[in-house]
Amino acid sequence: MSSVLDGFAVVLEPTNLLYCLVGVVIGMLIGVLPGLGPAATIAILLPITFGLEPVTAIIMLAGIFYGAQYGGTITSVLLRLPGEASSVVTVFDGHALTRQGRAGTALGIAAIGSFVGGTLAIIALTFVAPLVADFALDFGPPEYTALALLGILLVATISSGGRLRALTAAAIGLLLATVGRDDFTSAERFTLGNLNLADGLDFVPIAMGLFGLGEILYNLEERHRKVQAPATVANVWPSRADLRQSSGAIGRGSVLGFFLGILPGGGAVLASLAAYALEKRRSKHPERFGKGAIEGVAAPETANNAAATSSFIPLLSLGIPANATMAVIFGALLIQGVTPGPQLITENPELFWGVVNSMYIGNILLLIMSIPLVGLFVRILRVRATILAPITVLITLVGAYTVNNSVFDIGLVIAFGVIGYLMKKLGFDPGPMVLAFVLGSLLETSLRRSLLLFDGDPTGFFTRPISGVLLAALIAVALLPLAQPLLRRRTPLAAEKDRGEEEVGRGTPEARDPGPKEPQAKQAAAGTPDSGAPDPNTSEERNSAT
Amino acid sequence: MTVLVGYLPTAEGEAAFTAAVDEAKRRGEDLLVVNSPRGGAPVSAEAADPERLAALTAEAGRSGVALRLRTTPHTGELADELLHVAAQESASVIVIGLRRRSPVGKLFLGSTAQRILLTADRPVLAVKP
Amino acid sequence: MSTEPVDERPPSAGPLSNLIAAAVVVILGGAAIAGSLALGAGSPSEPGPGTWPLIIGAVLVVLGLALAVRARDTGEAERFTRSGLLVAAAVASMIAFVAVIATIGFEIPTLLLAFVWLRFLGHESWRTSIITSVGIVVVFYALFVGALDVTIPHLF
Repeated sequence: MSSVLDGFAVVLEPTNLLYCLVGVVIGMLIGVLPGLGPAATIAILLPITFGLEPVTAIIMLAGIFYGAQYGGTITSVLLRLPGEASSVVTVFDGHALTRQGRAGTALGIAAIGSFVGGTLAIIALTFVAPLVADFALDFGPPEYTALALLGILLVATISSGGRLRALTAAAIGLLLATVGRDDFTSAERFTLGNLNLADGLDFVPIAMGLFGLGEILYNLEERHRKVQAPATVANVWPSRADLRQSSGAIGRGSVLGFFLGILPGGGAVLASLAAYALEKRRSKHPERFGKGAIEGVAAPETANNAAATSSFIPLLSLGIPANATMAVIFGALLIQGVTPGPQLITENPELFWGVVNSMYIGNILLLIMSIPLVGLFVRILRVRATILAPITVLITLVGAYTVNNSVFDIGLVIAFGVIGYLMKKLGFDPGPMVLAFVLGSLLETSLRRSLLLFDGDPTGFFTRPISGVLLAALIAVALLPLAQPLLRRRTPLAAEKDRGEEEVGRGTPEARDPGPKEPQAKQAAAGTPDSGAPDPNTSEERNSAT
Repeated sequence: MTVLVGYLPTAEGEAAFTAAVDEAKRRGEDLLVVNSPRGGAPVSAEAADPERLAALTAEAGRSGVALRLRTTPHTGELADELLHVAAQESASVIVIGLRRRSPVGKLFLGSTAQRILLTADRPVLAVKP
Repeated sequence: MSTEPVDERPPSAGPLSNLIAAAVVVILGGAAIAGSLALGAGSPSEPGPGTWPLIIGAVLVVLGLALAVRARDTGEAERFTRSGLLVAAAVASMIAFVAVIATIGFEIPTLLLAFVWLRFLGHESWRTSIITSVGIVVVFYALFVGALDVTIPHLF
């Protein structure tokens, strides 16, 4: 317990407080802006974190991630424009409330729900993460093989753009991870004789290129968007009745979000969808949803924050990133010389507890900022993409250079930027590729160790209880598509989601322009690959997997 | 034939709109309202909100003028966009609002209105609020 | 410009671009297999440097073939349209940036890249383009050379 308290001492150092603030402000801003997701932002800012202490760096990057969950809400509620994929469902009731002149109420409830969800998830994390890590201390190479495979497969399953494409992207990511000297034999693999590649491909230029530059290039193509008049917000304080009405939704959203966030492949988007569906199903008056039900804002906003927080558990206690954003933070940890895994809590307690406890502060800061300063953040939406694009690109290119002082790295960023752009154009989500790249060497190393352990007998994986269970789960996930037609008939969740989308369409004030936001929502989903598009299959699979 | 008015949710825009309704009524022509914000940003102060646009339609209706709306965002110069639409619709007159500006301000900024006045190939009605 | 203000997306891609993507995947898988056989494939009991790439290569070939079979299912793929030329121009400007940054420092390439993106790719006005691109260089200089003291090549 004393290490938990020491963690608070770490957080309260002025530098860490400052970077926590910087992180949540940046997260809030990019959450407001549609297009650039948290994974891309963290990737672009990786070079800036090099000069920092590991704790400080991760505190800031984590702040960006959960800060984005707050920011995404604002534009969903005010403008029907989800800034992040995890706020897509908030649009239905949030914007309906705005049209009734209750935008302030919606934003206030969302902020309070986010705060409660985030805080409860941190408390739960404090107790659960050490248990998981303790359990995982017994893991050997076979367990890690199974866990890494399961993680990649689950992310591919819920990724946008279809399972086949996602698996292909993941396989390419695994292949990229093999470039460079082999850990066991030092044989040079796929380096084409290039000295720059002898040590393997660096994670930073790949993440910066695929997420950051790829997204910028993709958005460069003219996609005419509707330009809206600025919205005004009055009275952000929800009434006592609103609070009472949404308290149940906030409680359920916290629990649901927490558990969906822990799952590999889970995350904020899934949690927000599931929480919305749950509230609608539980409600005595489901017809109110989509017409301004306050629970329809409270539940998803609470759940996405809880999930964003709890998705740190697999990263910090197992060393397995659960989604693409966590993969980037994993990369940041490795660069700082910290290997996340079960030993992290005992070997590096000030880092672990410093980061975890910084989330309390971050959530308080976000609550303080998001209620009175909403108008300020909405102003950034007036900045044109044509002005933001060159600034972001130059930060990316110059930043890529500063990592290793190498022009070759800038070239790599551009190359992966082009690959990322082409992938998005062809419907491939780059998220699984980055995740697989990060897990690639762990997967290969533990697979080879296990094979040596089992003397080449692959059935050895099934004789160990933990790896056996994990592999059984793996096979279940792999076989799910076959069982899908059966599930489709039974789960009402997918149908609800469809109806929800219809409501967005009908809710448009301009009759000529039915549902102009869906493509955008999809874009946002593609932009934050930690998630996957809000696609009906997703909820089905999750339903049956949990 | 149609009367074209460049509309912005400002005092100048309102003045231009009122004058344009009168002009359309006098000529017995319909009215095309162009509210074209600069594209690229999700939100712009140049964009009129849906309620305001509905009010404009109602106002024109009271004067017996048929109104069409065009809210496509533009890239580049607003003046070029307006002139382009005017040519496309073969507008009989373009109505614009003028801002009061000091001579120095004009020297630096080069206004949209000035550009329309100088380059339009059809009558332009310029209104001050 | 008579289009209504909707979120325009390029039309969906045809089966051809999906087939090309599938072919690239198969070729990549084939190359991985060839490369890993050259490295020595090893055996399950004694995995060599080529074992793992060989497995991935085989998986890629299978996935590529599956993609080819389902080439009609375009998913979220988009067709390449004229606005793709913007992207090509943007990439060209970045390649030029990389080519000269090591020799002439970052200031002039940064200024030019920002200006080209603002004025020609973004159709901003001359005034906005000039002010913004100069502003970017000044801020970058203050940030990277002044505050962070990064070893980026610079003129001044």
